[in-house]
Amino acid sequence: MQLAALAAAAVIPFLLGANLYILTVLILMLVFIIYSSAWNFLTYTGQGSLGHAAFFGLGGYGSTLIAVATGLSPYITIFIGAGLPALVGLFIGAICVRLKEWFLAMVTFGFAIIIQTLMVSQFSAWSGGWDGIASPRLLSSSIPNYLLIEYYSILAITVLVIVLFAIILRSRIGLAFAAIRENELEARAAGINPVKYRLFAFMTSAYFAGVAGALEIHHMGYITPEIFGVDISFWPVIYSISGGLGTLAGPIVGTIVITLLWDGLQSLGISYARYIVIGILLVLIIIFLPKGLVSLPGRIREWMEKRAKKA
Amino acid sequence: MVVSPDIALQVVIWGLYAGCIYILLATGLNLIFGVMKIVNFAHGELLMLGAFVTFTFFTISGFNPYVLLAASVPILIVLGVTIERLCFRPILGTGKLNEIFISLGLIYIIQNAAAIIWTDEWRIIHSPYESITISVFGVNMPLDYLIIITTTIAILIALYLFLRKTTLGRAMRATSQNRKGAMLMGINVERMDMISFGIGAGLAGAAGTLWAVSGQVFNPYMGSLPAIKAFAIVIIGGLGSIPGAIIGGLIYGIAENFAIFTLGGAWKDAISFLILILVLIVRPTGIFGESSE
Repeated sequence: MQLAALAAAAVIPFLLGANLYILTVLILMLVFIIYSSAWNFLTYTGQGSLGHAAFFGLGGYGSTLIAVATGLSPYITIFIGAGLPALVGLFIGAICVRLKEWFLAMVTFGFAIIIQTLMVSQFSAWSGGWDGIASPRLLSSSIPNYLLIEYYSILAITVLVIVLFAIILRSRIGLAFAAIRENELEARAAGINPVKYRLFAFMTSAYFAGVAGALEIHHMGYITPEIFGVDISFWPVIYSISGGLGTLAGPIVGTIVITLLWDGLQSLGISYARYIVIGILLVLIIIFLPKGLVSLPGRIREWMEKRAKKA
Repeated sequence: MVVSPDIALQVVIWGLYAGCIYILLATGLNLIFGVMKIVNFAHGELLMLGAFVTFTFFTISGFNPYVLLAASVPILIVLGVTIERLCFRPILGTGKLNEIFISLGLIYIIQNAAAIIWTDEWRIIHSPYESITISVFGVNMPLDYLIIITTTIAILIALYLFLRKTTLGRAMRATSQNRKGAMLMGINVERMDMISFGIGAGLAGAAGTLWAVSGQVFNPYMGSLPAIKAFAIVIIGGLGSIPGAIIGGLIYGIAENFAIFTLGGAWKDAISFLILILVLIVRPTGIFGESSE
């Protein structure tokens, strides 16, 4: 299954024809797969965030500023720059560790707005204020087939990130996450320190959200404070829920399906109504398919078996 | 920075008036939370709809916009009941993250439906009393502010009387105190859910009308920030506590205006979160909230 998906990802540029539009869509899809997977990683400990744009954007700014200052390749600065959101994530996590559900959702949401405000006011000397700053490209556009190389390099990073998440979640850490999520008191009784694991989850999630943000920014070549926008915070939530919360495949499936739907509707010339479609889909999925699209094949099989029995 | 008493008083009065709109939103959120134990993150979108309903009726009829409260509140009540029935009831009791997520879906639906109906331009309406200022306690204050403050007080008193003196209001309070107990006493709790959501939406509609009348601009995407501020107020005041919402709203309105005055306009929106976060660090359940567990 995983190998089939990987093979599909590897050959898809050739099947669809490697033109600029398709490659851009595919690259952004991969970036958002990393981003949603990072967001989803946090939900394994029972936490949720409505402000991941803070980390996404800080990754972009961190990596850009380092790349500009040192002249290193963006491929290196991405992983250094993401340290900034990881540190901020640790700080926010430390504040939020006692908070749950809607409190946590609101505080994380608030941090995204506070960080945006700081960027355009206090730190505008570095960030360029609302105008933003130019960011070095991942690869120079003079290299032949540079987008194709970009696609494969980002695909490699995506695979590494997801494999890393899988390893963490299968280890003792993953078990600890599950224990904290199901019953914090019992987890504590079993000798698990919930604070430590929550902070670890927050930091890891922030780090990889930052990696995703940096990748997007270096792909675009420009960064403005709009990257901290509410939309950017909500997308990974929508992708992960529609795909299936708390599964590794969920954010991947969700990102692919919703992005295709989104771009498909755009090509039909639908603008505002796209959001309405996404909104209705989200409501319907939460009510009728609470485990997301990944549970759909199982549900259909169940339904078929029931029908077969009746007949 | 030194603030002279005159200016301080002026800022307090601005804050009172700004606080009024947030109080109406926060009271609605609290009412819904009290009865249903859910948080409607799409509450700001209801305020936005209230403002646009007012705008539409105002441009069609040219009535005094304050009279249009009689249009925006009932329309929003009907809408609130519909939303409760279609979206929130099916997920009641299925986990707290779900209601946050379903609100996200609602935000997308309502914002963009409004953008299709009214386009995404910024709108403004002008109150007939716009140019009139009166002097209260030696402070010059636009007449509109005074009307808005009075209207809010009137609405809150009406709500208080409803909750305290009527059978329906008592049934709602009973449901919010103990849902199972209320059910055993023969109260139709699902009906209470619908009514509380309806009233909450109606209050948001009233807030929307006042928002429009006070000369603030609005477009289909403006609802999130007032909602978040209302949420901050709810947290400051304690979830489910209506007196807390009122005090929180006043504190918040005044703090926000002082922040704009001293830190600069860029901080208008961020300051709410700073307050919120500071409060939550000190007291994770809010200043007036009961400690949970």
